[in-house]
Amino acid sequence: MGTDAATDDDDETTRLTEYTELHGCSCKVGQSELDSLLADAGLSGESDALLFGIGEDAAARKLTDDLALVSTVDFFTPILDDPYDFGRIAACNAASDAFATGAVENVDCLVVLGLPRELTESAAPILAGMADALDAMDGVIAGGHTIMSPWPFAGGAISATSRPDALLTSQGASAGDRLYLTKPLGTQPAMGATRVTDNQFVETVTDATERPLDQIESEAIAWMTTPNRDAALACREHATAATDITGFGLAGQSRVVAARSNVGIELTYLPVIAGTPALSTLFGYGLTEGESAETSGGLFVSVPPASADAVESAFDNAGVFYRAVGRVTAGRGVTIDDPAIEEVRH
Amino acid sequence: MARVDVRGEICPRPALIVRQALSDLDTGETLVVRGDYPPAEENLRRMCTTHGIDVTTAETAGESDEFELELRVTEMASLSEA
Repeated sequence: MGTDAATDDDDETTRLTEYTELHGCSCKVGQSELDSLLADAGLSGESDALLFGIGEDAAARKLTDDLALVSTVDFFTPILDDPYDFGRIAACNAASDAFATGAVENVDCLVVLGLPRELTESAAPILAGMADALDAMDGVIAGGHTIMSPWPFAGGAISATSRPDALLTSQGASAGDRLYLTKPLGTQPAMGATRVTDNQFVETVTDATERPLDQIESEAIAWMTTPNRDAALACREHATAATDITGFGLAGQSRVVAARSNVGIELTYLPVIAGTPALSTLFGYGLTEGESAETSGGLFVSVPPASADAVESAFDNAGVFYRAVGRVTAGRGVTIDDPAIEEVRH
Repeated sequence: MARVDVRGEICPRPALIVRQALSDLDTGETLVVRGDYPPAEENLRRMCTTHGIDVTTAETAGESDEFELELRVTEMASLSEA
């Protein structure tokens, strides 16, 4: 049972994931519950002091005509047991919300860390992982706050800067725009498979896909630790709207963009980590319907057709993975009708 | 009527436990599943619907996260193939 870590038969390794019931971005509170919470608290998101705020991936404040400060906070429970990798993923995931707005300069991270007493030895490797990830994003760890907590969690408050006129939100998508995704989907089934370690089901999970589970896991970790900074730099001057894919999954994040931009979204093509559709079917995760939660997923951007060649060239030149996954329509809501599935190998 | 209790189990184990229990049943037989892990309910519904298992809500217990689903194996069931 997940919370009974003391009886773990693996004495060699501390299993971070044993201490929580929800893992990675699947611990995120749902959109409807968030909407209710904001309404109950009387927070509308409208503020004259900000360029944008509540409801977006990050908040932005115009400091001068040439400079905006973007700030965001994101933390979650362990999606894997290695504390160093957990730190890298947590840092990439937190910074991703700033990158989704196009803010990629002057990246600072204030660490948010909570650990149960039994896991205090994990603090140093988690921080080291976060520091290395920040370093790879030209960012720094500027401080933080650490508490004791029965469920472990890690992440950070991120600040970054941008030109005010270069900022992106989820509100600018227009009918006719093309939609791009900059990482394949499938982190939830990939990592869920690694949590099945008992003899009762290991064979069932292993036999579900022809690919070795450790290879699927290592590819998922590679994607989750890939910062979205290069993708943001490549697309920010071409995109009309952007967000990043996290706990709501591609379909859920599409519903956010569709609602905030007053458009419809048609998803026709889903790149997924090879082997994860079979695992998703086994676990009932809904990956091929875009419903599976993602952790530290890619950017999801809308681009006018006239800029499609330019943004694709920019992604290519930056070495950023991308796929055209659908289009923006004049309708409402999100449709995913029997999409083409591409199984991507890293 | 077969019953399985997945309370206290964390994803993806509930889906695997239910799958195994369903594979022992014949067409027309039902399995009642009790659980308490919110994401598991949606995952179980999806896993069952995909494989030709009818899902009905047997019970939801007030404000707690507990749920009870009744799963019926139809002629279209294909669990053994996956």
